Amino acid sequence: MNPAKEAIDWLDRRLGVRELMHKNLGGYLLPRNINIWYTLGAVLLAMFGLQFLTGTLLLVYYVPDTEKAFTSVTMIMNEIPYGWLIRYLHVVGSNLIIVFMLAHMLSVLFMGSYKRPRELTWISGFILFNLGLVFCLTGYLLPWSQLSFWATTVATDAAGAIPIIGDQLVAFMRGGPTVNEATLGRFFALHVMGLPLAFLALVGFHLFCVRRVGISKPPFGDDYRTTDMPLSFHHEEHHDGVPFHPNYTIKDTAMVFFALALLVAITFFAPGLFIPPDALEPADPFFTPPNIKPEWYFLWAYQALKIFPNELLGLASQGVAMGFLAMLPFFDRGLERRPAHRPLFVTLYLLGILVFVGLSLWGHYS
Amino acid sequence: MKKTFLTNLLFLLAILLLTGSSASAETTSVCIDCHSGLSGQLGEIPTAEWHTSIHARHRVSCHDCHGGDPTDYVNAMTAERGFIGVPEYAAVPAFCGRCHVGVEEDYRESLHGQVVEFGGPNCVTCHENHAVQVATIDLINEVSCSRCHSYDKPALIKEEISTTEGVLSRLESSVASLYRVGFDIGRLQDDLFSTRNNFRRLFHSVDIEKIRAETAGFDAALEETKATIDELEKTLGRRKIAGGALVLLLILGGCVALLIRRTYEDHK
Repeated sequence: MNPAKEAIDWLDRRLGVRELMHKNLGGYLLPRNINIWYTLGAVLLAMFGLQFLTGTLLLVYYVPDTEKAFTSVTMIMNEIPYGWLIRYLHVVGSNLIIVFMLAHMLSVLFMGSYKRPRELTWISGFILFNLGLVFCLTGYLLPWSQLSFWATTVATDAAGAIPIIGDQLVAFMRGGPTVNEATLGRFFALHVMGLPLAFLALVGFHLFCVRRVGISKPPFGDDYRTTDMPLSFHHEEHHDGVPFHPNYTIKDTAMVFFALALLVAITFFAPGLFIPPDALEPADPFFTPPNIKPEWYFLWAYQALKIFPNELLGLASQGVAMGFLAMLPFFDRGLERRPAHRPLFVTLYLLGILVFVGLSLWGHYS
Repeated sequence: MKKTFLTNLLFLLAILLLTGSSASAETTSVCIDCHSGLSGQLGEIPTAEWHTSIHARHRVSCHDCHGGDPTDYVNAMTAERGFIGVPEYAAVPAFCGRCHVGVEEDYRESLHGQVVEFGGPNCVTCHENHAVQVATIDLINEVSCSRCHSYDKPALIKEEISTTEGVLSRLESSVASLYRVGFDIGRLQDDLFSTRNNFRRLFHSVDIEKIRAETAGFDAALEETKATIDELEKTLGRRKIAGGALVLLLILGGCVALLIRRTYEDHK
């Protein structure tokens, strides 16, 4: 009598779980030459799971009140057992998630995996990336530190540059003319409820797209052939492939371990990497710290805004750039995915990375 | 429902597009705005010097010393708004002493303070005015003191206070490191601040016997603070050991997983 087997038998008789598991694990075949970049999705899922867990624990003691928020964070860091660990895992984790998301997107771009029929997978992933950034921005305000307050003030301030609705938009985001209690309230609600719900739904859709269309074959090696776009729905099969479980899940597990090692190493040895000194002081609406700057992942946009003669033009150009990237599968309709056969794309791709890094460094040192 | 969704979407998009925007800003002060545009000793020099000062770091702005209204361009420098302007030479100790109360008291009792009316040294003689920096023991040096008298007595005072000053600066540096990694060092900082201020007011008396007699009391106070700091540093050390072990375990876990995967590859 094996209770686990009994339980599975019971479920199997009712829901057919064995067939489901076989179809999605052992019987689900992936391309043989699948590479390490394909594990980033699993790494991101694990990191988001950890964010959800640490975020929930932080909620136990965090108080979303301008008078108490900073004190509550200080208490979490100093008085709650392992509170410092939970908070630092959350803070460092949020930054690493952006790193892994960028890497995930760049690998998808390089391997041309965004191309049809995977437009919806790409768009949902792109929106997830943007939601991740909004997650970070809204979370940034919650400790109500000098950095939180002023970074949010200047970030929301730029909305005033939009003609006609600019001022109303600023007031709408802040819940008043300045960053205040109402801003904290709406950012908190968005961070702990609105965004997670939207995020979960979109992650579900993204994974559904990945599974439904099938994993794309890495466009490398002599046996790679460009396939035509089918006229009707077609699930990409890999008959000579390797099973998702255990062959691939164990690779995913290894990469999750390494990603967690990186997270723990930064958390224990260099937490200040993602926490500037201004984040350690309580918010003071009457004193603007000199040279306040956004987080590293917004530095490119910050610097781009400074280059343009006016903010509206800067915002519009960023909107166009982001819109173009989101809609890329609809502009880039060729079926060729091999980087060696796409010199123009690879050149633009490398230039794009250089511009991103260059603008970020310029923004950091300006 | 649709309208709510669109409103939320607009909010998200607006936030996203605006996140890159930022600006550099400073303490709002009409004093800085006007004077930084002027040349010379009433303009760019003092404002530039102030920016580098300990006062700027601690948000002590022009009006905190010189009075006036930092929010009103027209009336900023009127007597009605409390504008004081530049004090007379002999009035400088009282000017600075409004905040540095204890130091002024000891200075007044010292030889320095007693001869200030006759051109003796005042606060800015050693500390500068707008470029005032964190006071260190290096302010007592042969070049500076020899402007007025021989360096023999200052050298003795410096020797007497150097050990305690060294401990103070080491403890301050430790507290700053603990602060940087998120420890709540409020009480420690207050203790150190108080000890340092009292110790520094002591040697403004330039009375070697008084300094010798009272230094031991400061050393004892610092020893207590050091014990607390040591405890926190030990905690930090223990955390790092635990963190290092965890990192190693995770790397080991990853390597084991990769090894297991190789066995599957061998099966292919």
